[in-house]
Amino acid sequence: MADFKNILKYLFLYHEPDIQEEFILKEKESEKAGKEKTSERRKEISEDKQKTDNKSKTSKESHESKLISKNLTDNIEYLKKVYSIPTNGDIVLREFEIVAKDKTIPACIIFYDGMTDRTIIDLAILQPLMLLSNLEVKDKGKELLEYISKHLLVHNQIQITQNMGKVIEDINYGGCGVFIDGIDAAFACDVKGWEHRGVDKPETESVVRGPQEGFTETLRTNTALVRKILKDEELVVEDVSVGKRSKTPCSILYIKDIVNDSLVEEVRRRLKGIKVDYIFDTGDLEQYLEDNPFMTTPQIIATERPDRVANALTEGKVAVVMSGSPFALVMPTTNIDLLQSAEDTYLRFPYVNLIRIVRMVAIFVSLLLPGLYVAITNFHHEMIPTDLLLAIEASREKVPFPSVVEILIMEFAFELIVEAGIRRPGQLGPTLGIIGALILGQAAVAANIVSPILIIIVAVTGIGSFSIPNFGLGLSFRLLRFIFIFLASVAGFLGISLGLFMYGIWSCSVKSFGVPFMAPTGPKTYSNFLEQFVRSPIWKKEKRPDYLNVKKVHKQAKISRQWSQDNKKKDKQQKYEIQK
Amino acid sequence: MKNKIRKFCILLSIFIICQFTSGCYDSREIDELAYPIAIGFDKGEGKFLRMSLQIAVPTKVAGGGEGGGGGEGGQSSVSITTLETPTIYSGLNMINTYVSKQINLSHVKAIVFSEELAREGIEKYINALMRGREFRGTAYVLVAKGSGNTAEKFIREVKPELESNPAKYYEMVLNAYGYTGFTAEAKLISFYRNMTSYTTQPVAVLANVSEFEDSDDITLEYSTYKQKGRDYPLPGDYTAGNMPKVGNIKTEVMGMAVFDGARMVGELDGEETSYYLMVEGKYGYSYVTIPDPQAKDMFVLLNLKQSRKPKKRVEMVGDKPQIYIDIKLEADILSIQSGINYESIEKIGILEKATEEFVKTGIERMVKRTVEEFGSDTFGIGESIKKKFLTWDQWVAFNWKEKYRHSNINVNVDVKIRRPGQKIKTVPAHGSEKEEK
Repeated sequence: MADFKNILKYLFLYHEPDIQEEFILKEKESEKAGKEKTSERRKEISEDKQKTDNKSKTSKESHESKLISKNLTDNIEYLKKVYSIPTNGDIVLREFEIVAKDKTIPACIIFYDGMTDRTIIDLAILQPLMLLSNLEVKDKGKELLEYISKHLLVHNQIQITQNMGKVIEDINYGGCGVFIDGIDAAFACDVKGWEHRGVDKPETESVVRGPQEGFTETLRTNTALVRKILKDEELVVEDVSVGKRSKTPCSILYIKDIVNDSLVEEVRRRLKGIKVDYIFDTGDLEQYLEDNPFMTTPQIIATERPDRVANALTEGKVAVVMSGSPFALVMPTTNIDLLQSAEDTYLRFPYVNLIRIVRMVAIFVSLLLPGLYVAITNFHHEMIPTDLLLAIEASREKVPFPSVVEILIMEFAFELIVEAGIRRPGQLGPTLGIIGALILGQAAVAANIVSPILIIIVAVTGIGSFSIPNFGLGLSFRLLRFIFIFLASVAGFLGISLGLFMYGIWSCSVKSFGVPFMAPTGPKTYSNFLEQFVRSPIWKKEKRPDYLNVKKVHKQAKISRQWSQDNKKKDKQQKYEIQK
Repeated sequence: MKNKIRKFCILLSIFIICQFTSGCYDSREIDELAYPIAIGFDKGEGKFLRMSLQIAVPTKVAGGGEGGGGGEGGQSSVSITTLETPTIYSGLNMINTYVSKQINLSHVKAIVFSEELAREGIEKYINALMRGREFRGTAYVLVAKGSGNTAEKFIREVKPELESNPAKYYEMVLNAYGYTGFTAEAKLISFYRNMTSYTTQPVAVLANVSEFEDSDDITLEYSTYKQKGRDYPLPGDYTAGNMPKVGNIKTEVMGMAVFDGARMVGELDGEETSYYLMVEGKYGYSYVTIPDPQAKDMFVLLNLKQSRKPKKRVEMVGDKPQIYIDIKLEADILSIQSGINYESIEKIGILEKATEEFVKTGIERMVKRTVEEFGSDTFGIGESIKKKFLTWDQWVAFNWKEKYRHSNINVNVDVKIRRPGQKIKTVPAHGSEKEEK
């Protein structure tokens, strides 16, 4: 009984909510306090890490602290054990001899076949070591290690390390390791050269105006694409690896003198705090990073376009690029960002406004239209014109199902077509569309399973959901649509408004990397309210978003079209002279 | 964690239970309901009401599910049923014993009362209609002229030729006052509001079935032109039913019924109705025929518009209210039969003056009728004197309705002719003079 009382109390009495926000984006003044906090947390995390490391000290961890032996055979033994040679097929361990300082020294090179560039290994590493070591070098007084690194290994990127773990990590990521007898260090050479896709058109975010380059699966290509656009030495590409075993390289991109430091710190903290063995794509990464996994709306933008990432960086946002994924993550993300496409800034503003309005209508339609139809046909008959009412009634005359079932059948059929169309690419896609849309729609009406008006509604809804610029948001609305159909069938407009209300509350409570998701409308921050829905001319956008708390607020001068002002001055002067 | 799941389950179950208590049971599929589009009330046998429903048959109206179109061939798009019942809502129950779909009144466009019933008083029916949540206030209130079951007759005769949907017929024909000026805007909501008002009195649209079957039967004896002292009838000198016309569309709406409280006390013809609209400020535009001021038996046709809201003012002189009505109109010339050059600056004043005089006498006559004949303030002129009272009780004690019967009327009409149409001058036909004669 007391338990029940407590539950009632819990449900109906007001109680202070628990402090749920783990991270709040601080203003610049109070940054210090924020830093202290986060650094404390970092300490905690690192302590945790140590604890777990101590608990489960596997062989994987052990070679991180393993030093390279002076004895080559020891090293080879160890490598063979680590890489399971000869079971492992694609690892190449080649032993050879160097003639240096009139001595023949045994050595070995190890690399993954296919991940490395063979010609570089042959020409820049093996050839000088094996053949050119005979050449006379003037300065012979040097140590063997120094001599080899400075004279023999003619490759451009070479690291000397005494740590076996470092070498193994490099080998795993397309490098090669060179071990030489008698030296307790190894050379890790960067000879990456795997097969990869070239820079291609971004397929999911195509634009009419604007650059047609998209990210690829290669990390450095991607970072270079962004750097190529920004050409700013303040752009920092900070490397972090994610995945306990995979050690997938990721890069945090930000512009040092614009971005809020605590934001970068938070992104870094989250990335380093991911405890997972392997990670494959930024799609996975997004799910590990986002604040609210249960919210249907995506809270991080994934984009294929380097120009979009660059644009976000200049606003003061942070991007994460990951090796092996052609999508970059941009954070923090607010609701409005999801409604904008890459093209919005490239087009002149009158056209963009038309497109934006169309998009708003599309969102409204894709989310609510089926629900509204169900609500009107079940509860609010007086709302529609008599002609339409009679037309709906006539078309539903021979349909055996209630309108909810009818709309669920068609929505399900539509989802089926979409899903099948995505999974059957190429030539079969359009065929499927024709079978699905034409034959199914036509036949369903002819067979009196659904009414023709409903086909229109489902079709408009479908088209609406495809015109949402963000793929994730489109999916989210496709899901929410069913909830709204359900609510409408239960309580009509009351249900729909209840649903919208709850969805609104939820969105307002969510934060993405410390930024309220509905900013700048949810909590009102400094911004032109209309600016969120319609776009003003580009020269009017003088400030970076307020909610990002950036270091430099202004992104262009008060009068950015300075030439127009100069002209006016000239005109005045001329007039003045004429008057004289 | 367990606690969390439990809380979630409790919340979910509360949510589900809420649905069973909510209005889910109100849900009705559109095709489970029948939608009457007009409803008629006659005086039945004894104390009872005789109710007629005109129910739309959607498959006939919209052409059915297979997109067959309008070719259903002569079958009526409505089903009409009439029955005797003590009250409106019990009548609906009775109808549902033989009409398979539940009756839903949310799309009723016209509520027709027979003249007999209207003269007896329709307060209880209007109150019942307003209390029911399905009726919409935008339905028009009509009074079917004549004696007997005129409402039923009228509804049975509504067979629109241009529309497949009779609901649209009602909407179009009753909204046409905006460009004809021959019917009043008499919606249920305003009827109810005026019925309960201390000043304004309600009006209804007059409707009837045409009295002439064949064009040989047409007479002008029902026209009101003689009472107005004219030698010939002008377009508005008729009420519904006696318009000199024959055709497939038998039903007519013209003029309006004037009520005192909820009792019908008289009727105004088409022309008077357009003056009523002018005084109300709801006059849109319409073609008005005016006798030529300088040529006998010739007409000038004007497109008359109301450019400003009318000003209405009441002053008490002793015990008698003085009513001032100030109306501003604009006009375009459509036709000058005599060919006199009224378009010129010198002569335009003559035409303006004649129009002013014409409209002014009309309005004066009409207002005088409401004052002396009906004693019903249909225009809500009393609203403008209400503000001079401090308390409601004083105002009620003042008894405006009684005072109104003794009021004097001063009408001022101002007409400006703005455009001469596509011509700036009438060019006479040139033939030999013999033929002219």
